[in-house]
Amino acid sequence: MTPPFILRQNGDAALDICFDATPGESLSRLIIYLQTALEDAMGSGQWPELRELIPAYQSLTLCYDPLSTEVSGDTSLHNRLCKFVAEILSKDTSEEDSIGRHSAQLIEVPVCYGGAWGPDIGTVCEHTGLSEGDVIKLHSERDYLVHMLGFTPGFLYLGGLIETLHCPRKDRPTLAVPAGSIGIGGTQTGIYPQVTPGGWQIIGRTPLKLFSPEKPSPFIARPLDRVRFVPISAQAFTDWDEPGPRTSPVSGKEND
Amino acid sequence: MLRIIKPGLQTSIQDSGRPGWMRYGVPGGGAADPVAMSLANVLLENPAAQPCLEIALTGPEIEFDTDLSIAVCGARFALTLNGEEISNDRVIRVNRHDRLQFGALQYGARAYLALAATIDLPSVMGSLSTHLQTCFGGFAGRALKSGDEIPLIAPRTCAPRQLPEHLRLRYTARPQLRVTEGAEAGLFDEREYDRFYTSAFIVSAQSNRMGLRLEGASLNTDGMAQIISSGLCPGTVQVPPNGQPIISFVEGQTIGGYPRLAHVISADQHLLGQLKPRDKVNFLRVSLERSQRILREKTALLAELPW
Repeated sequence: MTPPFILRQNGDAALDICFDATPGESLSRLIIYLQTALEDAMGSGQWPELRELIPAYQSLTLCYDPLSTEVSGDTSLHNRLCKFVAEILSKDTSEEDSIGRHSAQLIEVPVCYGGAWGPDIGTVCEHTGLSEGDVIKLHSERDYLVHMLGFTPGFLYLGGLIETLHCPRKDRPTLAVPAGSIGIGGTQTGIYPQVTPGGWQIIGRTPLKLFSPEKPSPFIARPLDRVRFVPISAQAFTDWDEPGPRTSPVSGKEND
Repeated sequence: MLRIIKPGLQTSIQDSGRPGWMRYGVPGGGAADPVAMSLANVLLENPAAQPCLEIALTGPEIEFDTDLSIAVCGARFALTLNGEEISNDRVIRVNRHDRLQFGALQYGARAYLALAATIDLPSVMGSLSTHLQTCFGGFAGRALKSGDEIPLIAPRTCAPRQLPEHLRLRYTARPQLRVTEGAEAGLFDEREYDRFYTSAFIVSAQSNRMGLRLEGASLNTDGMAQIISSGLCPGTVQVPPNGQPIISFVEGQTIGGYPRLAHVISADQHLLGQLKPRDKVNFLRVSLERSQRILREKTALLAELPW
């Protein structure tokens, strides 16, 4: 069953395809499936007016060239997209299952938890009533789904933080959170790719570089990949010299 | 080669940016005022998006070690070559050892220095533009500093010419920006919505290429339903919980979670690059059809060059 969708204008040069469904793995898979279908069509010369696609939790944003689109009428971008999306989504869902699933990777992200690398782990312990060991165990024993990339280059929107680790953000953001910091902010967990101000509770740091613009593939993960945090020692952090994360194909189907 | 004697506040290499990476969180970036950049390039018969120097608020002093033609468009600074006054919007011939100085800013915020030469730096993710927030691209991923030497290849000189009067752009410190409805405009209380269109906002000194922060009437979003983060484009006006609108700009984040009240139309976005702290802006709502008509008209105007 595919969820109902609407097309919503997002400024004068973008449309959002918005789905009426709860954010989660199956919706993210549907959105990435649609994105892939559009990219394929664009690759074969269709939709020359489209410039950017931005997947998110409940929507796919399409940025277009306003000079080469009709705003209204039968041939408007809005109408043509409505037809295209309906047609794509009406296709066999077993085919949908195959897309994204086959290429999805499990990305291992080494993390040195606590100490100077995770100065706020104590705050998380206090808030959750858990020991530091339990916080580390709970944070690293499950895999997280990459819903999308965004916010800043290389930032991964991860789903799947266990409720017992939910912890409020700081009242005052830290001015310079080091690159690679792993944080918990409300119901989310994530990795800061660059030095930025940030309000999340920092529980550890990874020696991995999340964004390498000079490399042919500048990012460590793509939507629908899974991230697993692997605890490492301070010594292993300091000695880390691997060029990228360890990866393996994701197998089996998991629930939202 | 050109040498930076004094860097100015934020002088960086920019072109038309990096389209196609927003799906990975990388904004397009590039020139904050692509219209001014392309006019400077067109004067020199360069491709419109050839890499230029973007010069913001306080200008640099630059020495050339080769003969070539240059052009400056966009913001107006008191411009001198070896101490002699020169002006924007025309081809300028420089000789080896000449020094170009950007003096006091008269209007606008960013000038573009185009060169009849190719800047010889590596392209990163398909562009020479400097991503200043994330520190990559351009010259060492940063704004230029004193002593930096920008390598140039194939310098040449070109025929003297100037832009026709109607393309010599001037910028007011009180612009009216035209906007279309934002994706969440309907969620705003009518009073807050009206306040946005009837107030003047001051451009905050906290503004940068990522976003223009506005100060003034506070727009209350209390009680508004939580927004699920979704795609965010340059030009979009978001209202964070403190009620002070932010206009997302060329290096803006690609995903946002604040309600989107309005969107500066594509045709007026180049004017965002000419806003400086303390400027006052107000907003005029136009229809989608009108926004497209304005863009067509502006594009046609820019195409009307006599050479």
